Amino acid sequence: MEDAVRAVDLSKTYGTGAAAVKALDHVSLTIARGTVAALLGPSGSGKSTLIKALGFVSPADTGEVFFEGKLVVKDGRPLADLASLRRRHLGFVFQKANLTSFLTARENVEIACEFGEKRDGKRRARDLLGYLDVAAREDSYPETLSGGEQQRVAIARALANEPSLILADEPTAALDSVRSRVVMELFRKVAHDRGAAVLVVTHDHRALDIFDVLYAMEDGSIRPYAPGAVTSAVRPDAHALEGASPRVGPQ
Amino acid sequence: MNLALRDVRRHLARFVGTAGGLGLLLSVVIAMQGIYAGMVDDATILTRAMQADLWIVARDTRGPFAESSRLDPSVEARAASVPGVLRARPYTYQLIQREHRGAVMRIALVGLGWPDDPGRSVPLVRGRWLQQPHGEMIVDASLGLGIGESLVLAGEPYRVVGLTKNALTSGGDSVAFMSVADAQLVALDQPSEATVLERQRVVGRLSRTDLGRGQPGLEDLVMDPRWRSPALASPPVAAVLVEVAPPRLAAVQEIMRSWGDVSVYTQGEEESLLLGGVVARARMQIGLFTVILTVTAAVIVMMVIYNLTLEKTHDLAVLKLMGAPRSRLLGLVLQQSWLLGALGYAVAFGLGALVFPHFPRRVLITESISLVAPLATLAIVTMASVLGLSHVMRIDPSRALEG
Repeated sequence: MEDAVRAVDLSKTYGTGAAAVKALDHVSLTIARGTVAALLGPSGSGKSTLIKALGFVSPADTGEVFFEGKLVVKDGRPLADLASLRRRHLGFVFQKANLTSFLTARENVEIACEFGEKRDGKRRARDLLGYLDVAAREDSYPETLSGGEQQRVAIARALANEPSLILADEPTAALDSVRSRVVMELFRKVAHDRGAAVLVVTHDHRALDIFDVLYAMEDGSIRPYAPGAVTSAVRPDAHALEGASPRVGPQ
Repeated sequence: MNLALRDVRRHLARFVGTAGGLGLLLSVVIAMQGIYAGMVDDATILTRAMQADLWIVARDTRGPFAESSRLDPSVEARAASVPGVLRARPYTYQLIQREHRGAVMRIALVGLGWPDDPGRSVPLVRGRWLQQPHGEMIVDASLGLGIGESLVLAGEPYRVVGLTKNALTSGGDSVAFMSVADAQLVALDQPSEATVLERQRVVGRLSRTDLGRGQPGLEDLVMDPRWRSPALASPPVAAVLVEVAPPRLAAVQEIMRSWGDVSVYTQGEEESLLLGGVVARARMQIGLFTVILTVTAAVIVMMVIYNLTLEKTHDLAVLKLMGAPRSRLLGLVLQQSWLLGALGYAVAFGLGALVFPHFPRRVLITESISLVAPLATLAIVTMASVLGLSHVMRIDPSRALEG
């Protein structure tokens, strides 16, 4: 499978001098389409910084990011219209659903279709809500939806532009274990059905079996993660996925 | 999908309430402008209604409206004899206050030069012009008198034969038009006791002179109510209005300005005197008040729009993260500002139509006010959205990732 995103030697430092904190330390990572990858690590390990760099929100100081094979960020300088890239090819899911409060569930998905320049947004939004089993709540405002429903709508919104890459930052933090697993399985379904690459930042170790690839971050460095092992590499079944093998470390 | 309308729909009550508040403010701004326009119109309506080319008043006065002017009535004949003058007529103006049906009534009495001027220049809404030199008057409808109703002035009844509208002084007093002779009768009216005392003083003075002592019959003559001293001048007029053949205006004015006892003003100069003298201070006051209100409205709209934007910071950050084009987000703020302005103006307009006619002073919504007010509202709300727009520009999309 083709690569959705490839990061090469990303480094980022917050602050200067003695107060300097290295958030990313020569991080290299490739996520292929159709892969569900998990990113684990303690708070302050650099997960969010990596998500921001891969999501073209806040670039790293040095290093390169390729999107679908094309170099789009080099040493902090954008080489393409990043906002356009986000609205056409990326989907985001957050810890809280972060739905737009003044739009209904359907409109939240529909607006993402518009941004992604997808035709027939209303029908598409309904289809996606149906796919995620929340069609019955399409006219409800976010505040009237349960946490699980909100997160389903958020996933539908992330899928609205048929993204190549979905970045999810602790999407199940506000959910109970049952709903967490349902959401994680949805990501797997989306990746496998629609060929999207999904990177999920999570602390929830109960659902790690769902992921194709596991990464761990610590002090700005990334490495393959295996439950119970400090430095073990990638799960065997992840390697078995043709074209989705994680390539960790400098390329 | 229009994000601005979706947000308004979600927070309809608050948005409508804000628009209502803005409408109240705008209605006050429009009212101030309308009151000023009404004041200017009231101040000049009397001069315009007289349709005179030149106003002759007492020397070095700015009469008859800005200050009192006492002009010998012979000036009328003198003016009429100047080559190029088509018509000259006397004019009087005085303010009186009377009680009628238990209410205090302030009236600006304007004397028209009967028979040349029976009030044809006065726009009537009902009734007719003066047809008799005595006992008839045309009044402004704001006095509350009806056609055929009589008002007792100087001990004699004056019948209302015509009604006009918006004939008010710069002070807002209603105007009544009657013949110059009647207006002078009212102006010179004295209580009978004062007349008796005056005649007794004349008899006293006569008795101390050889003339009085030599002709005792004079005392009887003086005490006769019909007697009037031939030595007394005719009552003065406030001004003489002159109509001139247009090509001769400058020449006629030049001749009249050479007379030592009068000052001559053109119609335009007379209006300028009124606006510069009588209305100038009110104009400045209202102007400053309007500026303060406009700035207040702009600041309030600015804060409202800014707060509405501030509340949506997280939503906007998420939309930015999703790659929303900048124009969509700026459009959201601008469109809401414009909608707020449009609703506010509609409220102000509706409220004005209901309330302005009941104001004690005339609120005149001129064409320029009707044109400028919505444009000014648009400008105010657009400027007021600057803070909100700059906030949108500064929102960092990564805030959406911070939960």
